[in-house]
Amino acid sequence: MTTIAEKKFVVEIVYNGVTKPLQVQPEEQVTALLQKAIATFGITQNPHLLSLFRQDGSVVPENESIERAGLKPGEVLLLRPNAVKGGGGLLRLARDIVRTTFHTLVECGRGECECAIYWTGPTGEDLVDGYEHPIHKRSPFGYEVDDFWLTEFWKRLAISKRSIKVQVHTHPGEAFHSATDNQWPIVSQPGFVSIVIPGFAAGEPSLDRAWVGRLQADGTWRRLVSATEAVIVA
Amino acid sequence: MSALEELNRTILLCRDYVVDKLTDEDICHGFQSLQVLCVSDLRNLSSHSGQTALVTLVSLLSRMGMQVGLTIPEVAMLSPQPPLSGSSLFTALIASSETLITGATVRCNSDVNPDLIFVLGDTQIDSSHASCWRLSGSDWYGALATEGTTEAQAWAAKWPVGSMVSAALAANEAFKFVVRRLTVRDQTDQVFFAPSRSCSWSFDSVPVREDGVHLGQVDLISAGAISQAALYALMRFPNIQMWGRVFDDDLTCASNLNRNMLTLASDVGSSKVKVVAQRCAGKLHLDPVANRFVGKSFDGELARRVLVGVDDIPSRWEVQCHAPGWLAVSGTSHFNVSSSAHSPDAPCSGCLHPVDDSAAANPIPTVSFVSFWAGLAMAVRLLREALGSPYSCNRQHLWLTPLRMDLPHAAMWLPVAPRRDCPVHCLASQGL
Repeated sequence: MTTIAEKKFVVEIVYNGVTKPLQVQPEEQVTALLQKAIATFGITQNPHLLSLFRQDGSVVPENESIERAGLKPGEVLLLRPNAVKGGGGLLRLARDIVRTTFHTLVECGRGECECAIYWTGPTGEDLVDGYEHPIHKRSPFGYEVDDFWLTEFWKRLAISKRSIKVQVHTHPGEAFHSATDNQWPIVSQPGFVSIVIPGFAAGEPSLDRAWVGRLQADGTWRRLVSATEAVIVA
Repeated sequence: MSALEELNRTILLCRDYVVDKLTDEDICHGFQSLQVLCVSDLRNLSSHSGQTALVTLVSLLSRMGMQVGLTIPEVAMLSPQPPLSGSSLFTALIASSETLITGATVRCNSDVNPDLIFVLGDTQIDSSHASCWRLSGSDWYGALATEGTTEAQAWAAKWPVGSMVSAALAANEAFKFVVRRLTVRDQTDQVFFAPSRSCSWSFDSVPVREDGVHLGQVDLISAGAISQAALYALMRFPNIQMWGRVFDDDLTCASNLNRNMLTLASDVGSSKVKVVAQRCAGKLHLDPVANRFVGKSFDGELARRVLVGVDDIPSRWEVQCHAPGWLAVSGTSHFNVSSSAHSPDAPCSGCLHPVDDSAAANPIPTVSFVSFWAGLAMAVRLLREALGSPYSCNRQHLWLTPLRMDLPHAAMWLPVAPRRDCPVHCLASQGL
């Protein structure tokens, strides 16, 4: 006779101060436990911001199984907001990024056309250590990135395990986010940062006069008070 | 100004759970129609802790728009109780009627037919009222229990932390009473609003020198609800000295009155920092700085101790980046309170709050007692830091949901884990 070991166990989930037990299996994904916890407590307010926290203060990683995450029978897990999911910690800029970006924007735009740059860095890290100047059509009123270039760019990013961290583009006069800018960012994930440089990037290479915004979970852009809320020089 | 406007954030918080068909007016009326009687005898009001318990409770109830009745003797105030003014407790409380929230009255008992009764300490009452709670406690410990469940002691403590805890516990029961009457949308959510027969909380005692405590120079980032709750508590700590600055560019608006503990309705339109500095004058010397703290343009250095009561997470990072020493951060999210302290070598506030929360940009749902817990926890942390007895690293973070303080995990002390992706790049995160 074969005996099948019972592998299920119970963890305690705390939300709003109330504790409820949930049964889990070692091979189950943490994300499934999280969804179960959200459903059990009937949470409808920003459930995407919630994570499970251990009593040592660490987040239970959602891309792991219950077993690999090291959850134990009877473990108490706190279900609380984790703004990480909103994306958007401070990005660390390699020292020359701002200066070289301005140089490229000025050289390409020649004081009469808009231009764009994408700041890139290793996927999963908050470092910006590279930039891409896309092939694009340009005019004083906008820019349009070449489709073929964009496809190749995505492939390169995937192979090199890098991602676009920030889009930077110029405006002729005042820095603001236009309706087009709002609707067509190159990355549509919450937390993505967009920077608009006024005056075709003429003058000192500085983000002080720039419009800096962060994409929110509801698809709107939130203007930041200053670039220091999004980026710091490493 | 109307109560609807002033209770806007409390109404918003209720919307998390009450049935959708209720209008804002219905919810507002739910709070305004609640009649609460507060009862105490002379003995329980003969200590600073007893007086503080009563004043804090009345304030927290009034800031929810409720009608408060008092059955208390006239007694001289032992210490100032801002924003109340005057030297007699009963007179000052009655004078506070409708000064916090429009229509929130404070009257003598004969005018009140109570839905709830709160009794201080071991005051004798002749009532078989079903909804009657007793507030008790000591210097650092506060408790609330339904009548007859425990034997309460008279208030006699010198330090008022426990008394403010018990007041916050009581205000929570009044809030839940209203929500139960409003009808909760989902039956499974009723657990959050069930009455607590007996609950308590202790910030843990700490020895305090008789000659007082020098908190030194302390800067406050924000003059909003949490900072005001912290200052409200600090103002009631006996024999402390503190000076510093308070930074905020905001003006007081009607929707702040539901939680800004040092603010009166007549302050609407005034600079928050001026209101705070004025209410604290006499005990704490605070220079009002009517600007938002922006590290890059800040020409100077922050104090070695900083209290941060801002909801905006990037602002917390910015302060953390510029803080040369110890920092305490408190915040709220719906019914939850987060309070933490960060010394330079410990995981920082960026490790605890690593990313901007877009929800913070919207009107934030809040209620008086939740913000009050956040400020009280921060004030206690400051005191302990100044006394050289900070909480251990296992208690670096307090996550507290005051709805059901009778349940075992309503409050959890937690360490703060350093993060590789700490937005502040603190020392602890660099060591990973």
